[in-house]
Amino acid sequence: MHDFISLLPLIIIGSGAILLMLFSAFEKIQLETASYISMGFFAAAFLAQLLVGCGPETVLFDKIFNGMLVSSNFTMIAGLIILGCGFFTAMNSHTYFKINLFCTLEFYAIMLFGACGMLLLTLSQELITAFISLEIMSLSIYILVGYDRSNVTSTEAILKYLMLGAFAGAFFTMGTALIYGGTQSTKFAEIGSFVAGHSGTNPLVLGGVFFIFVAFLFKAAAFPFHAWVIDVYDGAAAPVTGFMATALKTAVFTIFANFLAINGALHKDWITFLFYIAVFTMFGGNLIAIGQNSIKRMLAASGIVHSGYLLIALVAISTDNFTGTVVGYYLAAYAVGTLGIFSALSYLAGEGEKRATFDDFRGLANVRPYSAAAITVFLLSMAGIPPTAGFMAKFYVITSAFTAGHMTLAVLGIVSSILSMWYYLRLIIHMYFHEAEECFETGGSPLAAAATFILVFCVFAIGLYPIVI
Amino acid sequence: MEHTATYIGLIPLFPLVGALVLGLMHMLTCTKNPFPEKLYGILACVGPLLSFFLALVVYYHLKGLPAEERFLSHNAFTWFAVGDLQVNMGFLADPLSSLMLLFVTFIGSLIHIYSIGYMAGDKNFGKFFAYLNLFLGSMLILVLGSGPVVMFVGWEGVGLCSYLLISFYSEDTDNVLAGNKAFIVNRIGDLGFVLGMSFLFWAIGTHGFDYLSLKANAHNLTPGIGIAVCLLLFIGACGKSAQIPLYVWLPDAMAGPTPVSALIHAATMVTAGVYMVARFSFLYAHFPLAGSIVAWVGILTALLAAFFGMFQKDIKKILAYSTVSQLGYMFAAVGIAAYSAGIFHVFTHAFFKALLFLGAGSVIYALHHQQDIWKMGGLKDKMPKTYGTMLIGALALSGAPLFSGFFSKDEILFSALASGHTGIWIIGVLVAGMTAYYTFRMIFLVFHGEPRDKEIYDHAKDAPPVMTIPLIILAVGAAFAGVLNLPGIFGGSLNISHWLAPSLVEHHPHVSIWIEILAIVTSIAAFAAGITIAYRKFGHGAEEPEYTGFAKFGYNKFYVDEIYNAVFVQPYKAVGSVISKFLEPNVTDIHVKLCTWLYQKAGKAFKVFQVGYIRVYAIYMVIGLSLMSLFLSQSLK
Repeated sequence: MHDFISLLPLIIIGSGAILLMLFSAFEKIQLETASYISMGFFAAAFLAQLLVGCGPETVLFDKIFNGMLVSSNFTMIAGLIILGCGFFTAMNSHTYFKINLFCTLEFYAIMLFGACGMLLLTLSQELITAFISLEIMSLSIYILVGYDRSNVTSTEAILKYLMLGAFAGAFFTMGTALIYGGTQSTKFAEIGSFVAGHSGTNPLVLGGVFFIFVAFLFKAAAFPFHAWVIDVYDGAAAPVTGFMATALKTAVFTIFANFLAINGALHKDWITFLFYIAVFTMFGGNLIAIGQNSIKRMLAASGIVHSGYLLIALVAISTDNFTGTVVGYYLAAYAVGTLGIFSALSYLAGEGEKRATFDDFRGLANVRPYSAAAITVFLLSMAGIPPTAGFMAKFYVITSAFTAGHMTLAVLGIVSSILSMWYYLRLIIHMYFHEAEECFETGGSPLAAAATFILVFCVFAIGLYPIVI
Repeated sequence: MEHTATYIGLIPLFPLVGALVLGLMHMLTCTKNPFPEKLYGILACVGPLLSFFLALVVYYHLKGLPAEERFLSHNAFTWFAVGDLQVNMGFLADPLSSLMLLFVTFIGSLIHIYSIGYMAGDKNFGKFFAYLNLFLGSMLILVLGSGPVVMFVGWEGVGLCSYLLISFYSEDTDNVLAGNKAFIVNRIGDLGFVLGMSFLFWAIGTHGFDYLSLKANAHNLTPGIGIAVCLLLFIGACGKSAQIPLYVWLPDAMAGPTPVSALIHAATMVTAGVYMVARFSFLYAHFPLAGSIVAWVGILTALLAAFFGMFQKDIKKILAYSTVSQLGYMFAAVGIAAYSAGIFHVFTHAFFKALLFLGAGSVIYALHHQQDIWKMGGLKDKMPKTYGTMLIGALALSGAPLFSGFFSKDEILFSALASGHTGIWIIGVLVAGMTAYYTFRMIFLVFHGEPRDKEIYDHAKDAPPVMTIPLIILAVGAAFAGVLNLPGIFGGSLNISHWLAPSLVEHHPHVSIWIEILAIVTSIAAFAAGITIAYRKFGHGAEEPEYTGFAKFGYNKFYVDEIYNAVFVQPYKAVGSVISKFLEPNVTDIHVKLCTWLYQKAGKAFKVFQVGYIRVYAIYMVIGLSLMSLFLSQSLK
């Protein structure tokens, strides 16, 4: 029974996706109703996930699934983040698609399918399952990214994402094959015990793990697999970008952490590798971000930097007693901040995302003081200024690096955090210290604005009461 | 023996909530259709009146307890705990703070009511009351705080409100500068307070940093540290309570609205320093040397300010110097360890000085912001209520027998004489005469004689009841508040001194009754002399004299402001301009600018890689993969 309850959020989201798909096949409902329905499913699944609550690590339906799915506190946190992101994205889409008219009913169904894949990915403890859920997630996201078929940038984005994503998928299967060749198993636990049982490096395992890492690093937009992320984030609709940036990253880093944590020896071998990736990701991301003129591109680049921080957390995780709290907290803090900005963009951008560059945000504080204040809060959170969630998250990550003995990494993390001020503060300066050149009325429903201000509250709530996580 | 009483936490909370509500209301509506003034006025008075009511409850609660158990405390929450220093947001109501509470909330409430009339029509009506409520809340935190840290919260809060209210009419640059001056001078004092507090913690604070624990550990202080702590705290008091050498801000502070001058710069905030010294009586009583310094600074301030007061022509400046002078008396009292006498003078002074300021406010209000006493005259027929109440206030201030000021001032002078501080006593008597002189100079010039400016005289009339009723209530207080502490010679039993005894560390010297009579007779003589001279010179009308010689020197306040400006302000500004013009751009900024330039260029260079072709991105992946494989193959060996 406990197994069933643990799977309940996934079941709710899955049935929601099928239901919406049926509705859209027969075109029985309005677009708005579809967004309300998806909000309802996300909310219900979120509550179900909360009610499941903390429990010991459980292998779900061991007999039926043969140990493929494992739930723990960490997966619960990840599930909560993904479902929350889905809920707010549905709210944002409601507003966004009132002005931008390319949406059809299937949008929400596909979003729910995407969430389904993400939830499954967090639970996966087996490589084939992980591959399937990764692909469910990716396929849905591909469609969402390229939803506006008449828009060139959107089409360009889907093309790039799809092609490069295919690479990543190929690497993942290749890695799986190599690992199976080396260890005769695809289950994390058995891979772990194999590594523990054999001293010395098995070249098949080494190569397999490397390819799987490449796939994860690609999805997480880590250096040097980051190049797609800028164009894809820019081309997708604002709510979709928000969803990608937060929920997808959460799912990927959850499985990444779970995979790394299976064995201490495995983790130890890869520390140096991950160390360099983390450093390059942080600094490369910063350098890309400062040159951007579009807000969405800047946020994409800043997402790369945040992946770098998450990699620091992965370097510092303790495999003996893995809880994932630092990673989970960082993901939550990053999710509320980023999603908040994309919520604000959903209603501020206007038709065809007219308000897109730094210059377009000049003097926003005069025209829309509350929105500007909210965006400021999110930016400060992403930059890591107390008392926001982002500060606490960075604080935990850097402390964990210190305690794990990675002094250099911690210091570089702080330096990168200082460098990141450049582009976050730049937007604040544009909003507050410049005169507005032209301002236009924005339409749409108030839902995205509501989401923005709820997320402002979340930024402070998570920041001031870290116990929540 | 302490008792807990949760409700005392509510006393500062009411005005603070009021400030928040009023402030939000004002912020949200200041650009368009503001709320009616009546609503602001009523909301503003609710908090102070509720606090006054609770202050009465505290008083009766304490009264019902045995004398040595009169301590009510409440710990709202642990504010912070760092190492040995654990600071609770705690409140302590004992006889001393309950007396302060009573008159602060009482006079505060009256002045809130008076302000409804005085501020009518001001476009920042709501803001004014938000500040005033915030002030009262901070003052109550200052008074009720259970330890130096909480007191400091209130101390800074009242300083901030004082600054905000002095600069309230911010269209005029002079007012803003006056606010700045008050704030900066106060900060100098605050530095002393903070240092004193730190030393105190360092020396004896590890076993609890509230008054009761400090009092229990005070005997562990070495004389050197103890005297240093006392003097540093006194520097803080000098700033807040306008003593030499930091008194210069108070006369300028009169730029604020008159009710503010009455509440903050006469009755309550400026007496915080005296309250603080009394609060720390367990330290000052241990170290008589520090006490003597306090007393001498106080009495010299009293003398100096009285000199200045004799030559001023702005009605509010006269009252401001008189306030400085009276504060000097209070410090003289607490310096010679006559704490209850000092606090008693704080108490009576609050009534008569608030009354005089509010009366002056009525006059200014009636004369359309004319403050020059040489432009007034003969107003007693036009404004009988204001005249009557101000006369009572003036009599109390000058120490006319049987008025409240007489008893409190006499108590101080008698304590000086009885404890052997003859020098302080002589100067005190002299200042008493000067006080009578400048007070009645003001009364005669404003209300007696012939009108000097016919036009404004014709339009003058008494203020509306919302302003005169508080005047009358304060006048009753100014006349009779002395009864609360009648000395034995008048058949009383020093009620306030006995009431305060559990909070203070003081000894009442037993001296012969002839010394007490001597003290009384000399003060009455000084009062009579002062008033007679004033009457001779100004009683029948006088023309504005051309000041020469010493009088000109006095009128210009001994050029202290100019000296301070030349000695401190200008060199400081010069150093600042050297740093900002030379040191900063050429030495410090240049590195920063170089770093940002490099960073920006690196970003521009990196942007080039973001070409947008998928094939290029795929090549990046391939290059990355190759490098990583190389790295791995290296690590395999």
